Amino acid sequence: MSIVRTNDQGKAQVLGNIAKWIVLIFFFTFTFIPLLWLLISSFKTNLELQLKPFAMPKIWQFTNYANAVKISGLPRLFLNSIMISTVSTGLTMIVTSMAGFVFSRERFPFRQGLLNLILAGVLVPIIALMAPYFRLTNALGIYDSIWALIFTYTAINIPISTFLLYGFMRTLPRELEEAAIMDGTGFVGRYWRIILPLTKPGMVTAGTFVFLFSWNEFIYAMLLTSRPAVRTLQLGIRFFTSQFFTDYTSMFAAIVLTMLPTIIIYIVLHEQIIKGMTSGALKG
Amino acid sequence: MNVKSRKNAFWIALFLTPVLILFFFYFVYPLGFIFFTSTLKWNGVSTPEFVGLQHFISNFQNKTFLLSIKNNFIWLFANGFVQIGLAAIVALILARRPRGWKFLRTVYFLPNVISQVAIAMMWAALYNAEYGAINQLLVSIGLENLTHNWLGEYATALPAIIVQQVFYIGYFMIIILASVMTIPDSLYEAAEIDGANVWQQEWHITLPMIKEILVTAMTLAMAYGLRHFEATFLLTNGGPANRTSVLGILLYKKLSALKYGQASSISTTLVILGLIMIVVIRSTIGRKSSASDLTQ
Repeated sequence: MSIVRTNDQGKAQVLGNIAKWIVLIFFFTFTFIPLLWLLISSFKTNLELQLKPFAMPKIWQFTNYANAVKISGLPRLFLNSIMISTVSTGLTMIVTSMAGFVFSRERFPFRQGLLNLILAGVLVPIIALMAPYFRLTNALGIYDSIWALIFTYTAINIPISTFLLYGFMRTLPRELEEAAIMDGTGFVGRYWRIILPLTKPGMVTAGTFVFLFSWNEFIYAMLLTSRPAVRTLQLGIRFFTSQFFTDYTSMFAAIVLTMLPTIIIYIVLHEQIIKGMTSGALKG
Repeated sequence: MNVKSRKNAFWIALFLTPVLILFFFYFVYPLGFIFFTSTLKWNGVSTPEFVGLQHFISNFQNKTFLLSIKNNFIWLFANGFVQIGLAAIVALILARRPRGWKFLRTVYFLPNVISQVAIAMMWAALYNAEYGAINQLLVSIGLENLTHNWLGEYATALPAIIVQQVFYIGYFMIIILASVMTIPDSLYEAAEIDGANVWQQEWHITLPMIKEILVTAMTLAMAYGLRHFEATFLLTNGGPANRTSVLGILLYKKLSALKYGQASSISTTLVILGLIMIVVIRSTIGRKSSASDLTQ
């Protein structure tokens, strides 16, 4: 690798270089500065927010964060979100890995047709299904419980998760199972002891996607629950404006707190998360 | 052998059952529900009255519906062309590995791990007329006459929400960048020896090689444009005077008013528009590429 796409020399190159950095800095500013503004503002008094919008807080108001937790009921919201996201991710992984295993390793009538049908589910604009999901949830008697969201999120993610896990399992060589079959390993044993352990990287990718989807979902959290006791984090944020009223900086503190978990996880695991979130668009 | 294969069939059925049941109740039945209900006049408890295509006809005579569908198309084009265009430009720049490119890539993607709701709340604060940072910035640099009630005025509300979404390029930039990175360096080296400058290299080597992924990204971005809901719901709820309304918002309002028939006619329109969009993309720009891999 001697010349790696270098671009030096010439006046056009200099101009191009300037333009390049303008673009990069613009998007950096757009992405990062608002978040920084929110963070710094969350430590100010409301008076400072109005009068000295771009100065550092004179005294860092950690009380805003105490207020934020007290007023918004954040712990409950976190707990609900964690429960719903974890359980629905687990369920999605279990059922789609079973289906992926059968679709990728077995032959049976209508295999391709069923697979295509399920994968075509990614084309359905889920937002269009508000009315039937509302009716269905009521008919199942789970409206306004965490199960309403657990079932809905699990089901919504079936097409994408099946797509990812099927795609992954399909690449595993057949010979792996043949030896096991010789040894008398049955159907479940092949799934549980041979294919599933090898599918771990694919499960991490799909699981990341499903978890972040469930964690960040808003529309159905709003539509399918109403009691504060089952509110998720994202739905809770919506009520901040009425809860905090004119205490803007405490509200900012609450918003910062809602952002923190995924940001921290992203800082630690960004390669994995980027892969998980974008693999829906890329093959495998 | 027969016993064994029958046993196998039992396990196959058992392993598929959970997925098939969920898929039936959450995809097949809902689609049937919206298609069927779109022909009814029904509030959820009354006796449904069959009205045929009347909802669709009155939708297309309704000003709010037409405004919403127009806004959906504005979103579709803003996402599909502006956002993808910008994402592609940044991806091409980062692929040449400028100083700090890994750090920038990570920062650009950051908003994608934060919920749309939290992001929208942040922008509501930035755009706020009394304490928002944007107006305060304009005042502090002496451009007081450029301040607006960004989300409350007819002229600025829709552009304000679109800017807030379209400039978050991280997701598509990463997808495109991953594709550009797979192009072997030797192609560029050869072009360089032949005297091709950077622009020529990008135009003649990179773009043809990433055409497929661009079409995929455009398809996804446009689909998001059709499904747009959260940011508008939280920032303006369709206002002022429906100027920022989209089909998703209208659907939610109809459903809240228990107008199941009208709501389902909007849902059906969304599903059909989505299918038309994919057909159009595949038969024009995406003809030879395996656009929208997801459909395969």
